[in-house]
Amino acid sequence: MTLEVCVMALGVVLMLADFWLPADRKKFAGYAAVAALAGLLFLSFGGCGCCSLSGTAFNGMFVEDGLAVFFKRFFLIAAILVLFMAVEFSDRIAGGVSEYYSLIVFALSGMLFAASANDFTMLFVSIELITITFYILTSFQRGRLVSLEAGVKYLILGALSSSFLVFGIALVWGTTGKLNFNELAAVAAQFESNKIFLIGVLFILVGLGFKIAAFPFQIWAPDVYQGAPTPTTAFLAVGSKAAGFVLLLRVLFTAVPTVTAHWANLLIVISGITILYGNLCALPQRNLKRLLGYSSIAHAGYLLLGVAALSTSGQSALLYYLAGYLFTVCAAFTVICLVTRHLDNDDLSALAGLNRRSPLLAATMTLAMVSLAGIPPLAGFFGKFLLLKSVLEQGAANPGYYCLAFTALAGVVISFYYYFGVIRAIYWSKAAADVSPISLSGPIKVALWICIAGMFWLGLFPSKALNLATEAASVFAK
Amino acid sequence: MEQSQLMQYLPVLMLIVVAIGFAAGTLTISVFLGQSAKRTKAKDMAYECGANPIGENTPRFSIKFHLVAMLFILFDIEVVFLYPWAVVYRDMLADHATRNLILGSMISFMFILFAGYLYALKKKAFDWKN
Repeated sequence: MTLEVCVMALGVVLMLADFWLPADRKKFAGYAAVAALAGLLFLSFGGCGCCSLSGTAFNGMFVEDGLAVFFKRFFLIAAILVLFMAVEFSDRIAGGVSEYYSLIVFALSGMLFAASANDFTMLFVSIELITITFYILTSFQRGRLVSLEAGVKYLILGALSSSFLVFGIALVWGTTGKLNFNELAAVAAQFESNKIFLIGVLFILVGLGFKIAAFPFQIWAPDVYQGAPTPTTAFLAVGSKAAGFVLLLRVLFTAVPTVTAHWANLLIVISGITILYGNLCALPQRNLKRLLGYSSIAHAGYLLLGVAALSTSGQSALLYYLAGYLFTVCAAFTVICLVTRHLDNDDLSALAGLNRRSPLLAATMTLAMVSLAGIPPLAGFFGKFLLLKSVLEQGAANPGYYCLAFTALAGVVISFYYYFGVIRAIYWSKAAADVSPISLSGPIKVALWICIAGMFWLGLFPSKALNLATEAASVFAK
Repeated sequence: MEQSQLMQYLPVLMLIVVAIGFAAGTLTISVFLGQSAKRTKAKDMAYECGANPIGENTPRFSIKFHLVAMLFILFDIEVVFLYPWAVVYRDMLADHATRNLILGSMISFMFILFAGYLYALKKKAFDWKN
């Protein structure tokens, strides 16, 4: 709980600091927030009571276990990288950059609560804290029409999914009388044939499917990704999606494990279609953020492989893949943020000649694309390998898993085309209109090197991170 | 339908009678009392919550109204939380497990709200002059 309280307090302080900071010092508020979050992250590894491995609060609504700690560190790193990006982006934000920082921190606190949610009430409150903050973050560039459009689309579809979620929770509570995940798990077996209970669980999955942008609830993702300010897009792609996954894991494997066991085919179909949809729709895209929007749908599909496998190895592969995805996506969006900072378009053509303008940015983008595509030395490859392995392990029981693995492989092959299209745009495009070098500030270089180091570390030395992921996933094995 | 079941709807019937009586009564009284008062143009207009009933159907009005409405909802919710807190306060104070928690949790909640109030104040949300 200490961690969440600290993060909340940081958000409030950032919000109020706006009034006493002179305009030219506002950048430092962002760096101060980065420093504070880095301190909290450091403390979480030191085990200073911030992230103890066991315990509950609020009558079991809030649980602190391996999975929660894993995701809390994940969200802290994500928020730090996004804040670095936000500081660079601050000259594009007209109204109140301090609010932008504090909203990122508030969204982070929602994610931290989501990581520990062990009760449907906590699940709903944490999801709403994340989503409502993102409504504002998405439409933060009030002067840009696309940003407002993205905000309105996210608001309407987000409200719709929230209503599904809360309706589902109501149906589950109405039939079983339980909201706590552990208490629900104890009685869920009796309600397996109760249609109203099953519809309730299905509605909850709809609400969470919206958060992770899985088919058929992915409609909002490309438009919102394209229109939102770039740091928001990055946080949406990493933080919000991961929060959706941690809640999905908890609901499926802690609250209703007996129901989940019957729904393997449903999960296989959703996962397969999400992979194909994301990858096929990404093919014709010329807008970078839109391309990454579709790619993030495809990645939601890959991550769902780990859910569909219904095994501890699948869950730990999912966690490992998310860790790699964090560094990769943050790297890609940081580059996009820096390159398109002074341009009005974020087309692929904006990347032309990037290797001459800034070799570091070009290299980072290339590595990010290679990692997203899943080529050996980087994080993306090992994650995909583990996910496919976990799916194939289950193949003997249900031949559907072989089809799913084949679909995923096909999706990976398709994705090579558009990821390498980005790399081609950097190095081999003819008309480079603008060849002026891009100057990078010190802190953003640090952020870029963190991302690169993360991608290589997870790809080359996976054992440490995999141990953490396996330890985190072991909460479902009990 | 049984007699007893119908009887359950008696209060609803009474409510309908009272509602009709109230509407008819006020209209009748206003006819008698209204004639003795002075008539002005504004008084003869149809009542539309203070706005002019005739004109374009989407009149422009200050964004401040939205701001005040939102702030009202925010600070109104505070009271919604305060009431149940006040009701259980004595019991939770007596309980050893929650004794130290009950006041602190409300104070921290009020602190966050106060930070929001300070923010609204500094952003001149209550300033009607400009």
